[in-house]
Amino acid sequence: MLEINNLSVSIGGAEILQGLSLEVRAGEVHAIMGPNGSGKSTLAQVIAGHADYQVTAGTVTYNGQDLLELEPEARAREGIFLGFQYPVEIPGVNNAYLLKAAVNARRKHHGLPEIDAFEFLKLAKEKMALLDMDPKFLNRGVNEGFSGGEKKRNEILQMAMLEPSLAILDETDSGLDIDALRAVAEGVNALRSEDRAIVLVTHYQRLLDYIEPDQVHVLSGGRIARSGDKTLALQLEEKGYDWVREAANG
Amino acid sequence: MKSATLSMNELQEAVEKLPDDALAASRRAALAHLRQHGLPTTHDEDWKYTDLAPVIDISNRSLRQYSVTPSSEDLDSVVNEICRSIDADWLVIRNGVIDQRSTEQLDNAGVSIALLSEFGGETEFSAPLSNLNAALLHDGLRVRVTDGAKIDRPIGILLVDSVAETPGMSQARVEIEVGANSTASFVEYHASTGASEHYANHIAELTLGDNSHVDYVRMQERGSSHNHTSRLVVAAGRDSVFNHCAFDLGGRLVRNDLHIDISQPGSSVEFNGLYLAGEQQHIDNHTRADHLVGPARSTQEYRGIVTGRARCVWNGKAIVHQGADGTDAAQANHNLLLSERAEIDAKPELEIYADDVKCSHGTTIGELDEAALYYLRTRGLSKHDAKQVLTRAFAQAIVGKAPIAAMHDMLEEKIAKHLGPLLAGVDA
Repeated sequence: MLEINNLSVSIGGAEILQGLSLEVRAGEVHAIMGPNGSGKSTLAQVIAGHADYQVTAGTVTYNGQDLLELEPEARAREGIFLGFQYPVEIPGVNNAYLLKAAVNARRKHHGLPEIDAFEFLKLAKEKMALLDMDPKFLNRGVNEGFSGGEKKRNEILQMAMLEPSLAILDETDSGLDIDALRAVAEGVNALRSEDRAIVLVTHYQRLLDYIEPDQVHVLSGGRIARSGDKTLALQLEEKGYDWVREAANG
Repeated sequence: MKSATLSMNELQEAVEKLPDDALAASRRAALAHLRQHGLPTTHDEDWKYTDLAPVIDISNRSLRQYSVTPSSEDLDSVVNEICRSIDADWLVIRNGVIDQRSTEQLDNAGVSIALLSEFGGETEFSAPLSNLNAALLHDGLRVRVTDGAKIDRPIGILLVDSVAETPGMSQARVEIEVGANSTASFVEYHASTGASEHYANHIAELTLGDNSHVDYVRMQERGSSHNHTSRLVVAAGRDSVFNHCAFDLGGRLVRNDLHIDISQPGSSVEFNGLYLAGEQQHIDNHTRADHLVGPARSTQEYRGIVTGRARCVWNGKAIVHQGADGTDAAQANHNLLLSERAEIDAKPELEIYADDVKCSHGTTIGELDEAALYYLRTRGLSKHDAKQVLTRAFAQAIVGKAPIAAMHDMLEEKIAKHLGPLLAGVDA
């Protein structure tokens, strides 16, 4: 589904990723871990299409097409979803409006008619119940005055409504209390399927207690320093990131 | 460019042709004032950014527009559409001529209507555009809300001009007196049809009785070759509440003056506004709140969306006079500047001569938030749609403040309609 080959990325002249390669197949859940500043968020933003990040080398292919050629909105319509580490507050834009516009942009792209208003509301309320969210959030400004946990739940709600093929969740677990973490994990697990891939970007192993990854990668020095199964995350928890850094350098 | 001066002879001729009614004396007095003081030029501080010269050059303008039968299918359909779009008791002024059917139809025990041509008017001669208005005024309205009345349905005042082949000019005047302990709401709606150039000048006075509550929405949606000046002077009574919200969505050269006198304690006034301008539009909003006594509160927030080669001016003045302790005055002006050739002149002015006051002001001029644009695009919205959504959201903050809640949907639709073409020019 997603093939990243020898990707180098810089922002403002600083090279963050240096020859990163990664392959994610449909049905898989990958966890990308690493210390602060290792380039985890950069990777997530490059896949989503942030214009500030410059790809200086390498390729990213999504379902056989050159992803780097596409605008962010085209990537979204093709089924890529980025759950933001810091979701943006947009006062004056109704949460329900954004959800509906997002769903319809995707449907239109695939030649489907706009979602029926009743269907939309029913679906949104179903997903909100799963995430333990008050339906009142539908009528508030997007993330406006939301707490950290509410913002993250809102990201997962958008993901649940959009049913992406490839979901990248950037530090979705940061700042969550245990109840919110459980609700978010439940939302993610509900989306796991054979034709979908999920990439979890996380600093801590904690999230992986709730969402079990197929593969774990550790970023260091702008590339993947080590890959393994879920036990790698446990090793990291025990030994710390220095262990990977030393192994990579040595 | 030298400012054109008013041709006094032509003006006098026009004044003399007006009917010999109860306004005749004030027309002559106003003419004398005009002769002496003229009209403002860009040398006057208050008119630094707005050059009236092309607008008041009357040499080729029909000053007798009121004599043209102000009825056409085109105009009627505009009037009908507006009157239907807002649930209100409408008073209609076409080309400066009062539609007496509309004044006679208004059937509300708490409201009385009189014509200035029958009862005369007291003109404030301090403002030059009031003089021009008084000199050329065909007729005006006096609306009175009885003491203690609770008027649920808004009173609508529709000022509409149908512009003939020759450029025209029209004057309208409305005096409103809201009695003590009463509640009322007003919609002042300006519209025009026709391609030829036009200048409309509106003067309104509003007196708020003690403990009264007035909601007021002004909508200006004139044609793109039509110029507009308006002046609203408000006298706020003791413990009165005044909520004003203004929308400038059309017009070529537009200047609005809003002047509020707080001479009794306990009043709370809020005035907000939104202006949208593109191409070569020029929209100037001058507000002034005089806090003569305290405690009292005045807050204002104006927002602008400016593109093309448009120029917008916001000048918000709050004067806290000596002894007006307990004054709370806040003003804010936020602008979205969507083109490099557009211009915004934002000028907050606070003059404080009292000790115990709370005053604040803030002004911003910016572009759309890049982070929000990107966020919306990652959700599948096109760049163009994302810009539309964010721009509308920016305007929505003012719509939400419009005191007549039943108008919110209609305002949203109007704004979306006017934003469409404005944003079409902004890179997609």
